[in-house]
Amino acid sequence: MGLLRLGERGLQSASNNLNFVYCQANRPAYAQANYIMKRRTAIQQILILAGGVVLLPSCLQSSGKASIALSHLDMTLDQEQLLAEVTETILPKTDTPGAKDLKLHLYVMKMVDDCHPEEERKSFLQGLKNLDAYCTDAYGMNFSGLTPIDRERALLAISNKTQELPEGLNEFYQIVKNRSIDGYLNSEYVMKNLVVWELVPGRYNGYFPVKTAKING
Amino acid sequence: MANFNIDAKAQQTFDAIVIGSGVSGGWAAKEFTGKGLATLVLERGRDVRHLKDYPTTNMYPYQFAHRGALTQEIKTENPVASRCYAFREDAMHFFVKDKEHPYVQEKPFDWIRGYQVGGKSLLWARQTQRWSDFDFEGPLRDDFAVDWPIRYKDLEHWYSYVERFAGISGNKDGLAELPDGEFLPGYPLNAVEDHFKKTLSGKYSGRKLISARCAHLSQPQDIHLQQGRGQCQNRVLCQRGCPFGGYFSSNSSTLPWAEKTGKLTLKPDSVVESIIYDEQKGRATGVRVIDAKTKKTTEYFANVIFVNAAALNTNLILLNSVSSRFPEGLGNDSGVLGKYVAFHNYSARVYAEFDGLRQFKTDGRNPAGGGYIPRFRNLHKHEMDFKRGYAAGFSAYRGFEPDMSGIGATLKKNINEKNLGPWRVNSHMMGETIPKESNYVRLSKDKKDDWGIPQLQIAVAYDDNDAKMKADYLEQLSDMFAEAGFSNIRKDESSQAPGLDIHEMGGARMGLDPKTSVLNKWNQMHACKNVFVTDGACMTSTSTQNPSLTYMAMTARAVDYAVAEMKKRNI
Repeated sequence: MGLLRLGERGLQSASNNLNFVYCQANRPAYAQANYIMKRRTAIQQILILAGGVVLLPSCLQSSGKASIALSHLDMTLDQEQLLAEVTETILPKTDTPGAKDLKLHLYVMKMVDDCHPEEERKSFLQGLKNLDAYCTDAYGMNFSGLTPIDRERALLAISNKTQELPEGLNEFYQIVKNRSIDGYLNSEYVMKNLVVWELVPGRYNGYFPVKTAKING
Repeated sequence: MANFNIDAKAQQTFDAIVIGSGVSGGWAAKEFTGKGLATLVLERGRDVRHLKDYPTTNMYPYQFAHRGALTQEIKTENPVASRCYAFREDAMHFFVKDKEHPYVQEKPFDWIRGYQVGGKSLLWARQTQRWSDFDFEGPLRDDFAVDWPIRYKDLEHWYSYVERFAGISGNKDGLAELPDGEFLPGYPLNAVEDHFKKTLSGKYSGRKLISARCAHLSQPQDIHLQQGRGQCQNRVLCQRGCPFGGYFSSNSSTLPWAEKTGKLTLKPDSVVESIIYDEQKGRATGVRVIDAKTKKTTEYFANVIFVNAAALNTNLILLNSVSSRFPEGLGNDSGVLGKYVAFHNYSARVYAEFDGLRQFKTDGRNPAGGGYIPRFRNLHKHEMDFKRGYAAGFSAYRGFEPDMSGIGATLKKNINEKNLGPWRVNSHMMGETIPKESNYVRLSKDKKDDWGIPQLQIAVAYDDNDAKMKADYLEQLSDMFAEAGFSNIRKDESSQAPGLDIHEMGGARMGLDPKTSVLNKWNQMHACKNVFVTDGACMTSTSTQNPSLTYMAMTARAVDYAVAEMKKRNI
């Protein structure tokens, strides 16, 4: 089962494709529109929505493989869950949704799988594999066994390279952090509710007054 | 059977044939059909209908699987296309993929193409600055190429004519080097762009910053509403196709207009193999077309043929149109066809920051992209150690720059703070390059495309003049930035190959003398009077201004002339 490519046609066509994959319906796309609408509920049960984009589920879930289809990364479901905990530590649930709510770990996996060069994919996987061993070594427990405070402490130590780290661990963390932030700021929730992105601004003002003088950089 | 053939030939016969449906082909279609001529427009790519065929136009960033980024696979498969700034997840379906249409790079050349109805008019940067006599008199004054057979006065009326229909936003700036046009309200400069403008006028003589003029409907007029187009909504997602028709493209403007006359036949998926020349009649009688999908060959006939296939593809078609009268390509008595190809030098940029004017930011988006610095080097006389000069884009922007340090709830709070960064400013160079015989395109002797047509072999490179001009641009812009109080000034000497500017021009240049040029002052072939070229291939020199508006004006003028000549039975 291949990866769904949404870049060119958007969600409606994605539904068409899915309909084709799952139902093998042999009708023209236009005639399928209503049919697809009716089947939407059913289809949604087999889709994974990550930040507004539909990802195709893996066919191998029962065998302990990652829950989404990946072309290059060979990840287990356990590793996926560990990655989810790492992203949740980076961007936790507060009074607004956190990384797990927004399924940012799936976004990280999708981006590393498709958009990062092979070397970075290797570091990512190597670092992910070494994370638990590192935590056990340094904190006496694997990552998921640590308290939220210790999880942050462990990741900060990895980020700051305060001690010698196993192979790929720092690179892994940088990739996960950057992609988590990227996925967060570009998620439907944030773009609609927090830092709003407008599809149709309808205006341009080159002298917009700034009220708070908060400067960064 | 005989009757069947006559009928078939009648069905394949038109008053006019236009090869290509991009910015100039669309104009040829509109003008011919507007004058009542049955017009066939041949487009080698697929059909793209306004509104209907813009699949990504209303998508939010989170609806793209990779949030707009290219995958490694696509980058690896498309080293050329993926170097173009607009080849991203939201618009890559409007670009030619490297593998689909290979060409031979005798020297590195990034050939960016859009094979579909509308061509690159869907994708262009929409900058529309008129040329002036400082440009048309350039080759004569500075002794390069050949003299242009036209001057500004020949095009002035036609600039106005196309501007009113296309809708051009700009201000009346009163500059001889960048004549004013028929403008809709211009997009204003922002606080820092205005600051830079004042710096230039205060500290330099002859250097100005104006609002860039662009093909956006800042205030649509009746003629635009009649086209079904509305006001630009400042989305600046133009490369996806605009649901408002806010910018000019063949798809939103000229082609639907031509269609309404009932005189237009538009055939997508039609690859023109060559133009048919009749030795007895001493004229071109039609074109040979290969169906892009079935590869079946069909011939179409007309009294007049306009070649608007995009600069280098127009060269390819002409070079491939051989007959015993024209063994080296149609209209190529002079031997210059395919030669004297030039482009714009876009290979330098300067970036900086500005700490002042922090009481302002920008809100919304500016479709004009900011400001434009018209050419100031060698303008009134040749005084530098290089020929000609450069225009420059200039823009300033201030946006959110989240603090991404730390981890956890603090990090999450920080990235939601909407912290503003400093003003960031940037400029890019738009240098005139000198057409030379050694910068040429020709047909590959051994490589063919999937339709059996020889591949184009491109040998176009920068020269010493370009290097000197680039050094001057980097030095001058850095000085101008420093004078304006900008900080952290960075010179970016990009190593980009020619072509990525997407302003390739020439090869079938206009000129007074048939011995040294292919086209006369009406864009008409010296040696084959019913064939006209009004796309980038016709250009004798490149100026510094974006060329599309000039192609539009030349096309409308050439059609007017061609139809008058047809009425007089001269062609």
